[in-house]
Amino acid sequence: MRYLIGLGNYLAGDDGVGVHVVEHVVAHGLERGFTAVDLATNALNMVSYLGSETEAVLVIDAAHLGLEPGEFRIFAPDEVETQKELAGFSTHEGDPLKVLELARTAGYAIPPFAVMGIEPHGVEHGSPLSESLRARLPEYAAAAIEHLAGL
Amino acid sequence: MTSTVHIDVHHLTRVEGHGNIVVNVTDGAIEKCEWQVPEAPRFFESMVRGRHYSEVARITSRICGICAVGHTLASVKATEDALGIEISAQSRKLREVLKHAENADSHVLHAYILVAPDLAGAPSVFPLVETMPDVVARALRLKRLCHEWGSLIGGRTTHPTTVVPGGMAEVPTVKQLAELKEKLLAAVPDLEATVETVAALAPNIPAFDRPTEYIGLSDDENYGLYDGLIQSVLPDGTKQRYPVADYRLVTNEFVVPQSTAKYTKNKLSSYAAGALARFNNNYDMLVPEAKRAAEALGLQPICTNPYMNTVAQVVEVVHSVYDSLRLIDELLDAGVRLEPLVQPTKHGRGIQSVEVPRGILFHEYDYDAAGICQGGNCIIPTNQNHNNIQHDFDVLVPELLAADTGEKEMELALEMLVRAYDPCISCSTHHLDVTFVR
Repeated sequence: MRYLIGLGNYLAGDDGVGVHVVEHVVAHGLERGFTAVDLATNALNMVSYLGSETEAVLVIDAAHLGLEPGEFRIFAPDEVETQKELAGFSTHEGDPLKVLELARTAGYAIPPFAVMGIEPHGVEHGSPLSESLRARLPEYAAAAIEHLAGL
Repeated sequence: MTSTVHIDVHHLTRVEGHGNIVVNVTDGAIEKCEWQVPEAPRFFESMVRGRHYSEVARITSRICGICAVGHTLASVKATEDALGIEISAQSRKLREVLKHAENADSHVLHAYILVAPDLAGAPSVFPLVETMPDVVARALRLKRLCHEWGSLIGGRTTHPTTVVPGGMAEVPTVKQLAELKEKLLAAVPDLEATVETVAALAPNIPAFDRPTEYIGLSDDENYGLYDGLIQSVLPDGTKQRYPVADYRLVTNEFVVPQSTAKYTKNKLSSYAAGALARFNNNYDMLVPEAKRAAEALGLQPICTNPYMNTVAQVVEVVHSVYDSLRLIDELLDAGVRLEPLVQPTKHGRGIQSVEVPRGILFHEYDYDAAGICQGGNCIIPTNQNHNNIQHDFDVLVPELLAADTGEKEMELALEMLVRAYDPCISCSTHHLDVTFVR
């Protein structure tokens, strides 16, 4: 099985863009050959989708990448260094890279894995997804699906 | 006696959200001793105004990524109360199994990932992969079990989709429930090993007692996670029950300068909510296996050591597995079928409560004749614990000073105390922050 996993806080502006992409995929019937999963802010549950029976995982999340807001990049975990504190590991901080590291060191078989990071405009609580990112949801979905198929 | 201390923990780690610890002691005089909560209010109550009753739980579920089941259940129950809806016995049992899954899931995360590093002398869970690989592997196994357990009943564990006003929009098949039963039974050795691990680490739990009031849901038929009356138990064992509709008379919210979150109090200057509060209120209703776990862990009611909240959580994990097995057997015996949703019989005000991992949770809504929400209120358990944490600080800091505790040791003791409450201050933003290395 292949998984397209959306992470983020739905009610915190562009922080929830990953969840919005997953919603777009499901709402438009694009979920073919993979399962789309909304994990919201509970990134630790990602371990449920890792293992030898999993063919590939692509996680979509808001990310500070130094790009223009709305731009995205798909990368492998070993291409980046997380800037979050290791000691701060918690569900709240739900860093998928840390969850992946924990699973790997705990002996999980890690399938082909990629992250689609989308540069946010803002991540304020109570604000909706920005209009410019909302307009690009079809683009994000298409890019994610294409990349997941090739993993 | 330690005479000078300056502790300034900005954004305490291994808790959900942001909280600060500030202690200033000069020449033996305590100038400041505060648990500070700087999180901005999120105004969920305003977000539900103007929404149809079928949408409200979808919104409030997003209050928390960990207690999403609890917020969904409290919200749907309050809506059902407002709309005069009585759900079926099957729906209630399925929701109870779902509630157990959430409690066990959150407690496993807290005990293994957030607290165990303190007790094992590690800065985070990552070093434990080297020193205690079997324990970390077991934690991830149990976490996965809880995720599958909740997903089967709730559609998904984070922001469940099946729980709707009037009942359950989807139900698992008999085959799926039987498979879940087998998975839970297969997890019993991991449960027993969890109790053994925590028992082995328990000597590292600080000895600190501060009698306080403990508040949780309680009823005469079960442990009171999904439903019941509000119950208070005082350190001398005196109990009093209140209707859930009177929750404002129990919570008595008030504001303090050091916290953006409101404080609460009832009979005493503060009260505690959460696993230890439930244990102290409802010990008699635990399944026998959970009582045996409590005995093995040295936990007895009424326990007044707040650090033991994590131990009470482990006892509750055992309870949730065995009580779910009972509920699944009852569902299998009766046969599970998709039932039509119960329709509203009235529109008005509804107030309901469930226990979430961190304690008692209240939701209240007003609906007009068209089923549109006119207003809401939500009191989360972490807010009910802030005042109690501050009162713990007020007693613990002088004790630590009198015992000549060094600054770093004092800082760790205070951090561990806050973490013991498993505060979920805010499921705030969590986006990635990375730099490219190639």
